[in-house]
Amino acid sequence: MREREVSPLPREARPYQGRRAGLVTRMVAAGIDGLVVGLVLLGCYGALVVLLLLIDPRNFSFPDFGLLFSIASAFVVLVVYQTLGWWLVGRTYGGVVMGLRVVDHRGRRPRLPGAFVRALLSAAFPIGILWVVVSRQNRSVADALLRTSVVYDWQPEDRPHHAPPR
Amino acid sequence: MGGTTEGDDVTRPGPDIRPSDVAVAVSAGLIDTIATAGGRARTLLGPLARAVLRPPLLPASLWPETPLAALTRSGEARREALAAEVEARLDAVVPVVVDEVLRRTDLTDLVLRHVDLDRVVSTVDVDAVVERVDLPAVVQRVDVDQVVKRVDLDAVAARLDVDAVAARLDVDAVLDRVDLTAVVLRRVDLNAIVEEVLARLDLVALAAEVMDGVDLPEIIRESTGSMASDTVRGVRMQGIAADEALSRAVDRLLLRRGDRTTQAPEHQREPKRADSSR
Repeated sequence: MREREVSPLPREARPYQGRRAGLVTRMVAAGIDGLVVGLVLLGCYGALVVLLLLIDPRNFSFPDFGLLFSIASAFVVLVVYQTLGWWLVGRTYGGVVMGLRVVDHRGRRPRLPGAFVRALLSAAFPIGILWVVVSRQNRSVADALLRTSVVYDWQPEDRPHHAPPR
Repeated sequence: MGGTTEGDDVTRPGPDIRPSDVAVAVSAGLIDTIATAGGRARTLLGPLARAVLRPPLLPASLWPETPLAALTRSGEARREALAAEVEARLDAVVPVVVDEVLRRTDLTDLVLRHVDLDRVVSTVDVDAVVERVDLPAVVQRVDVDQVVKRVDLDAVAARLDVDAVAARLDVDAVLDRVDLTAVVLRRVDLNAIVEEVLARLDLVALAAEVMDGVDLPEIIRESTGSMASDTVRGVRMQGIAADEALSRAVDRLLLRRGDRTTQAPEHQREPKRADSSR
């Protein structure tokens, strides 16, 4: 029997705790993740620029990697970022801001292989997120294939989430 | 009747012959004979006696009956005087004789042996007797304490149907007369009761319920929250609202009935392991 707990969640958010999120919040979270990836790439580029400047200031010029390399590096950073985020804490920074968490079919955060595959799918087929609005269970293509869910979770720690009291 | 007296002769002529009884029988027989003879003689000689005592040719003053009548009246008066004298003497003698007789006789034994007391008592009107008895005065003379001391109260109590007595008891009336508050304060160890109540109380659950009721987390958030956290909260709630609105719109567009099943699987506890499963 579950002990009575004091819920730290705001009252208005309690009915949604543990339910699969809709398209809007997931898109906002994805956008934030995109910003994060962009910042990381920018940071890496900036670090490289600084390094080159320190190594050879006289012959310094801003490196030009080309579109393909940029896209590929963004893809890699995104996959790594999402994999680590979902595997370690079940959410990325975008999920932290929007109060979302990725869980598997057992209600727990995905394991490393699952997180990696999901990150690959999400990065390679980003349009698959639009399936959320059509799905009766609010699932994206990656969720449907991997039996994962993105749920509202306003609790900061990775606590086992339970269905809200009816 | 019957019974022997001390004066009886021990040496009788035979076992069934008593001289005293013979004498009484003979005397009685003679008296009966004389009385019978007298009655017959009166019947036979009556007319002759009247003729002799009241000769028809003589005046009444010369009748022989006249002096005889005078003598009869004189004799009657003397008899009456004698009877009165005898009665007076008997009045004096009989009590003394009776007293002496009773002194020598166990009257109680006599009554017990010869008197049917049940029949005598059955004729007594006990109600009338009781009515005349001053019961309060009788009770007043009874030492109730001594009586009660001899009563086995335990045996009486054992036969008592306490449930029936209690059923008839008006508990409310009893309680109305009792100052329960004073009784409790005087006789009840309130500290022990409070400790027992606290021991049985799930204070954690109670505190959790109170905190949930007053929404303590919200109070803490309001008191410690920053603008950024309020902004994030607002953005989240607006995002949720937008999700709901979009879902309803699409469902209406697709002519779906019923709500979406958006409840995710609940967390399944896994057995604790020494190494991390990460």
